[in-house]
Amino acid sequence: MRTERLNGLADELSDMICNEITFGEPVEPETDLLLTGLVDSIGVVRIVTWLEDHLEIEIDPVDVVLENFQTVALMVDYVQRR
Amino acid sequence: MSQGRPYLLSHLVIGAAERDPQGLAVAGPDERLDHATLAVRISKLAAALRTTGVSPGDRVVVFAPKSVDTFTAMHGALHAGAIAVPVDPRAPIPVLEALQRELAPRAIVVASTTADRWPDRSVPTIGDTPSCTLSWEDVAEHDATGPVDRLGSDPAYVISTSGSTGRPKSIVHTHTSALRYAQLAADCYELRDDDRLGNVAPFHFDQSTFELYAGPLVGAATILVPDVLLRFPANVSELLERERVTTWYSVPTILRQLRLRGALDQRDLSALRWVLFGGEVFPPAALRALMAELPHARFSNVYGPAEVNQCTYHHLDGPPSDDESIPIGRAWHDTELRVVTPDGAVLGGVGRGELQIRTSTAMVGYWGRPDLNEKAFVDEAVDGALTRRWYRSGDVVERAADGLLTFVGRVDRQVKIRGTRVELEGVEAALNAVDGVTASAAVCVDDPDAPLVAIVQTSTITDPDVVQRAIRATLPPGAVPDRIVIVESLPITTSGKVDTVRAAQLLEMGTST
Repeated sequence: MRTERLNGLADELSDMICNEITFGEPVEPETDLLLTGLVDSIGVVRIVTWLEDHLEIEIDPVDVVLENFQTVALMVDYVQRR
Repeated sequence: MSQGRPYLLSHLVIGAAERDPQGLAVAGPDERLDHATLAVRISKLAAALRTTGVSPGDRVVVFAPKSVDTFTAMHGALHAGAIAVPVDPRAPIPVLEALQRELAPRAIVVASTTADRWPDRSVPTIGDTPSCTLSWEDVAEHDATGPVDRLGSDPAYVISTSGSTGRPKSIVHTHTSALRYAQLAADCYELRDDDRLGNVAPFHFDQSTFELYAGPLVGAATILVPDVLLRFPANVSELLERERVTTWYSVPTILRQLRLRGALDQRDLSALRWVLFGGEVFPPAALRALMAELPHARFSNVYGPAEVNQCTYHHLDGPPSDDESIPIGRAWHDTELRVVTPDGAVLGGVGRGELQIRTSTAMVGYWGRPDLNEKAFVDEAVDGALTRRWYRSGDVVERAADGLLTFVGRVDRQVKIRGTRVELEGVEAALNAVDGVTASAAVCVDDPDAPLVAIVQTSTITDPDVVQRAIRATLPPGAVPDRIVIVESLPITTSGKVDTVRAAQLLEMGTST
């Protein structure tokens, strides 16, 4: 189940961020979402909620850190490591 | 330098460096500097600014995310005798154009993310991108010299907020008003040289004057919380623990995020002795929950429009009950307050009215805006030829029998969104300028994640994101509505204007969605 859902996660996540958070600004796996100011604190919360709903997981607040959420690629890495 | 007691902001870091050269002055994501090194950096930057043509009284814009370099730049501008103008690095181009037009800066300190955004390319820039006039390496080659002498009554910095017409309101503080604020804050919160002040507010937000000036005044260290880190409360709490931060000052919104998502139960924050909050109302239940997580800290409500820095304080004796509004408290030293009713009478005792403020920490006025200054101040005639100058806060307060004041609202349609001042008329003007929008109402709702809502009347637009995208290009980030609701028609008052009160009620009832 896990692998199935993780397949294509990077693309889905990029699409969601582009559609709902950056208002059409395209997001690549390595785009720095934070330094460019594309994603604000509410945006981070929405990404976390989306991941939780989409993957049916719970994300510990202590894991919601820059090191895991700076790019889409890092988010996918983090979810895979869990 | 022995200038005796400080009378300029540029004396503060020099004083700290004389008393404790090796003590930590500022720590940021990029580096950590002791007081002596910071003083030298500031002085070299001031010399470099002068070679780019900056003269005393000229404006120097600081246009960069928070860092040790940005902290240095604020003080470097003051050391050069210039007026420091911190500008939101995310401000949209129309706001930058207005600031360029009104303040005509002589130099700009930039970061890689902002270097190409300033609208006037002829202004010299300092920063580390190839297009900059001077690099930080060039700056380091200048000779350190003493601060340019000014009078305490000369302007020191300008803080801009967006006005109702979209034209910025630029608040001018002098060395004296800012220094007096720093002294009063140091007394009120008993700041010491071993304090480590967590700097949360960006420098274009007036709360940061606590760390920028009160910190160096007492020789305390400032621990910068970078803007980007604020999106990750768990990173922030880790920084507070690692740096043993002793004071925190922010808007309640950020503290609420820290409690909800900051993993506070896994951090040792026992070094934290003060939690100061201000800029907006703290809902009592949320404050009580936070106080339970930080049992070692004292909590205090800070109140004061940016025009006067601060004027009241209220230290909490214990957690508030659910139905209790947190008072803004009473006047601190060197400050007089009066409560004035709509018919102009000064209240003697209990009651409600506009708060007017007389204090040595007040601004001198808005830059280049005699029209606004006329409205902002009331000159009260007293015996002889003297007058007393009161600042009209526009805030409605209630005075209780014990003398404590509580904020109850505004005389106009200004609101605070996440601590940032937003004029709802300004938001509506931006909405109405969007092609296809025929009327609009900007309203506040009780939703901590999305407090600012725009109701837009249009028959041609169906996707709210179209409106959202258009206004993001013109409004400052803090004034962009969190949610756009499209309606066929907005309620109208008898005078033919949009009835924003009724529109807000319909929204709350869910009938307009």
